[in-house]
Amino acid sequence: MTPPGIPRRRFLRRSGATLIGLGAASLPQILPARVLGTPYSTPSAKDRLNIAHIGVGGMGNGHLGYMLARQSRGDVNVVAVCDVDENRLAAAVKSTGGKATPYRDYRYILERADVDAVVIATPDHWHAVQTVHACEAGKHVYVEKPACCTIEEGKAMVRAAREHKVAVQVGSQGRSQREAFYAHQYIANGMLGRVHTVKCWHYATPSDDNPVPDSEPPPELDWDLWLGPLPWRPYNARYLHGVFRWLLESGGGQIRDRGAHVMSNALHFLGADHTGPVSIETKGRVPTKGLWDAAIEMEVTYQFKNPDWTLIWAQPGEMVPYPDRERVKREGIREGYGAVYYGDKDKLVVWVGDGQVYTEQKALDYTPPPGGVQVPKSPRFDHHEDWFEGIKTGRKTIMNIEAGVATAFLCVLGNLSLICGRKLHWDPVKQEIVGDEQARRLMSRPQRYPYTL
Amino acid sequence: MKPQSVSLLAAGAVLTASARAADRAAVADLVARIKSPDDAVRGPAWQSAGPYGAPAVGPLAEVMTDPHFEIARSARRAIERIVRHAGRPGADAERRAVAAELVKLLGHASPNVRKHALWMLSEIGEAPAVEPMAALLADPEVREDARCALERIPGAAATDALKKAMATAPEAFKYAQAHSLRVRGEKVEGYPSQKRLPTKPTRVKAG
Repeated sequence: MTPPGIPRRRFLRRSGATLIGLGAASLPQILPARVLGTPYSTPSAKDRLNIAHIGVGGMGNGHLGYMLARQSRGDVNVVAVCDVDENRLAAAVKSTGGKATPYRDYRYILERADVDAVVIATPDHWHAVQTVHACEAGKHVYVEKPACCTIEEGKAMVRAAREHKVAVQVGSQGRSQREAFYAHQYIANGMLGRVHTVKCWHYATPSDDNPVPDSEPPPELDWDLWLGPLPWRPYNARYLHGVFRWLLESGGGQIRDRGAHVMSNALHFLGADHTGPVSIETKGRVPTKGLWDAAIEMEVTYQFKNPDWTLIWAQPGEMVPYPDRERVKREGIREGYGAVYYGDKDKLVVWVGDGQVYTEQKALDYTPPPGGVQVPKSPRFDHHEDWFEGIKTGRKTIMNIEAGVATAFLCVLGNLSLICGRKLHWDPVKQEIVGDEQARRLMSRPQRYPYTL
Repeated sequence: MKPQSVSLLAAGAVLTASARAADRAAVADLVARIKSPDDAVRGPAWQSAGPYGAPAVGPLAEVMTDPHFEIARSARRAIERIVRHAGRPGADAERRAVAAELVKLLGHASPNVRKHALWMLSEIGEAPAVEPMAALLADPEVREDARCALERIPGAAATDALKKAMATAPEAFKYAQAHSLRVRGEKVEGYPSQKRLPTKPTRVKAG
């Protein structure tokens, strides 16, 4: 039970920290009762994290299913669900057995003192505002990738997480996968030599070949809330659901969707989360018609300095087929995206990069020598579990907000270079575009009131 | 477009009568292609609009009101191309010429055109654009876009315009304006942030 006078969130963290002090860090559970019992012993109801889900379609529905499975094991309580689409909301409530409280407006959730943490899986243009508000309300946050749509949004997210001392995990879950760990370990221990180039490949962004005129929004949808921070405009069926990804404002195309996975891994493996490129240059082809405006094909070249290396995001780029064709069929490996890491001694291929990560056998077989570099590993190779451990102990999560924002900046800057039609120069220390006033202004996008940071 | 016309338009130069005629012809050709019902003609036209510069802004704004939604959208995107091209470093004269044309659109009858002009000015507008932009803070159809656009323009002129407008703004809009002023580092008495105030209950029931 939470002692009187101590906020529930702080109490949960303090309890976890005590456990670590007792040497319980490796236990795959988050709450005190588990230290005293078997790994799946059930914490008391009042000590379970109370989770609320904001956005319950698409990926949000997947997160909800995951948490409900954990709830069935007695790990967490799913206490609230939220969506601006009442049909999706009703379905989510039903999936909780009618137990979770439904909300259309996420701000009701932030007012609830009994909610410890929120899972945000809304369209991208909501990520920053909802994350910042949740941090301000003292909630831990799991937010889907990409972290942000603009540079200033990302900076605000970092400030909010730091100021309010909450655990934020960005949903680039590739970092937590088993084979990502082995690839990371292989690279970090110098098996490729100095890595000078990372080339990503990804299939093209779709184009809207059947544009439709604006229309009235469907009755189940709160269009004003869906738009949120974006400038108001009439509803168009090509905005949602799912397809919001193909608009620069709300999704940013493949580079902000899957780039937030593949390039996240690149920064992680090269220890470059706290760095950034010094220049960004994009060439691409955008749709000639339709509402969707994200580049169909593009190539972005990011130049990093000290150490010097080059990151290339290419749609479609040069796909490397996964060698084990039987495994491709058996496990449904999505070879359509991945990256090749080129060092001065060798190269390594890492396929996919999100909930699936695959790498070459030589990395899987590798064992670091005594005294070799130890790389972080998410508990049970589970991205959510890593978040829970961050909540419990206060340690940085594997895809913490600084790392999530650093990755999102790559995606944002790649698109900005294409929009502006020119090479951009970036100061990675100050985190700002230099020498280009228009591009500097595009580091932020003023938000529609009251849906503001 | 003929290379000679592109260079003159891009330079924002003082044009001779014959050069002006050539530019008018080039812009008319661009507009004609953007009004084409054929995607294969219209798409490449708006995508190549950047170098047409200031002279094309007004004519393209008229196409933004075309009843064919794809043609209207293409015109809007052509203006974006012009603004992004004119905003490149070192193209000050071109940028100012485009901004001046956008300012003229702030009085356009179509709210869509006024909104687009505001957002485009948020990228390249400077002090001379601020006063006409701020006038639209009194326009109920586009005042929120005017506030956002001014919020993005650096410098004291935009701050002063937002402050001045606080005196006459409708009470409900003052909260939004106060937000913009705070974003710009100003202290504002009253009008606390409403950003975390829930307002939209659901009809879905638990259980």
